[in-house]
Amino acid sequence: MMAAAACGRLLGAGRRRAAASLLWSTVRSQRSQSTSLQQGIIAKTSLSSPPWPEVKLPDPIEEAKYHAEVVQKVNEMIATGQYGRLFAVVHFASKQWKVTSEDLILMENKLPAECGDRIRLEKVLMVGADDFTLIGRPLLGKDLVRVEATVIEKTESWPKINMKFWKRHNYQKKKSKTTAPSHPTAFMAQSHRTPSQLTAQ
Amino acid sequence: MVLLSLPCWLRSRLTDRFWRVQAVLKHARHFRGRKNRCFKLAIRSVQRAFVKTTKARRKKKSFMRELWITRIEAASLEHGLKYPAFIGNLLKCQVDLNRKMLADLAIYEPKTFKSLAALAQRRRQEGFLAALGDGKEPEGIFSRTVHHY
Repeated sequence: MMAAAACGRLLGAGRRRAAASLLWSTVRSQRSQSTSLQQGIIAKTSLSSPPWPEVKLPDPIEEAKYHAEVVQKVNEMIATGQYGRLFAVVHFASKQWKVTSEDLILMENKLPAECGDRIRLEKVLMVGADDFTLIGRPLLGKDLVRVEATVIEKTESWPKINMKFWKRHNYQKKKSKTTAPSHPTAFMAQSHRTPSQLTAQ
Repeated sequence: MVLLSLPCWLRSRLTDRFWRVQAVLKHARHFRGRKNRCFKLAIRSVQRAFVKTTKARRKKKSFMRELWITRIEAASLEHGLKYPAFIGNLLKCQVDLNRKMLADLAIYEPKTFKSLAALAQRRRQEGFLAALGDGKEPEGIFSRTVHHY
């Protein structure tokens, strides 16, 4: 989990305050007269330092070690199957759904699948358990997660009414729309599995 | 003898008035007062109800988006980040969760949301450092973009 990154930030090396020898804005600018500034202590004015607080990132080597540890722990947990119920964020039918096993989804679309067909939802954005989460950028690999679903029901939708009415103008139009039959309306997502392991970046 | 014009005493009369009235009243049965029983009052309420449904279907989308944004803002403030910083930095990290998902995660998966907030905060700090440095590729680890080609 990337919350480890927050801890990693706090455990970083001790802060060192370097005296700002140049105005921070002149570091970026390419003015020809920048050589005329003297090396010394700059007075604290409204423009002598950036408006955001000074940030100090932790030591990259230590952080890389920490990241490798975390990834190894998560790999172990996945390999030994120590996770309970998994959830996945899946992009399907131009919407994102947060899905677990034995979950029902209702969509208003046509699918070329019949009732009882097993479908694999491939665009997985995120997978998580109680102790770890895998965040995809933007998608997770297909060999990493497997989300399957069964088409349960295909029905017409309830009649949605489209009406226009202007008072005192004798203008009204009414149209009732039921999305045509043979569109799947319910799914059941089942059996999340993360078969392969993560590799440390 | 050929009949050249239809006799005036032949009139056509409506036979299914009852069912036409019931088709309107069935949409008014859950209303309050006489407009759930009397046709003249019901037809006005039912027309207004249908028009409101059509207009609300468009407004529902923007209303829900506002609601999600409010919830995400509240959740990210709990973790010390403002909403624009949170969303902007998540997008820069190529995390494509939409606001509906982020709001649901904030409610049902608090640990995941905390890690997303930490990710956004870290990316923000790397952005600040990159703003101070040269115009080269940012050094930060979380600022590295993933190339999918």
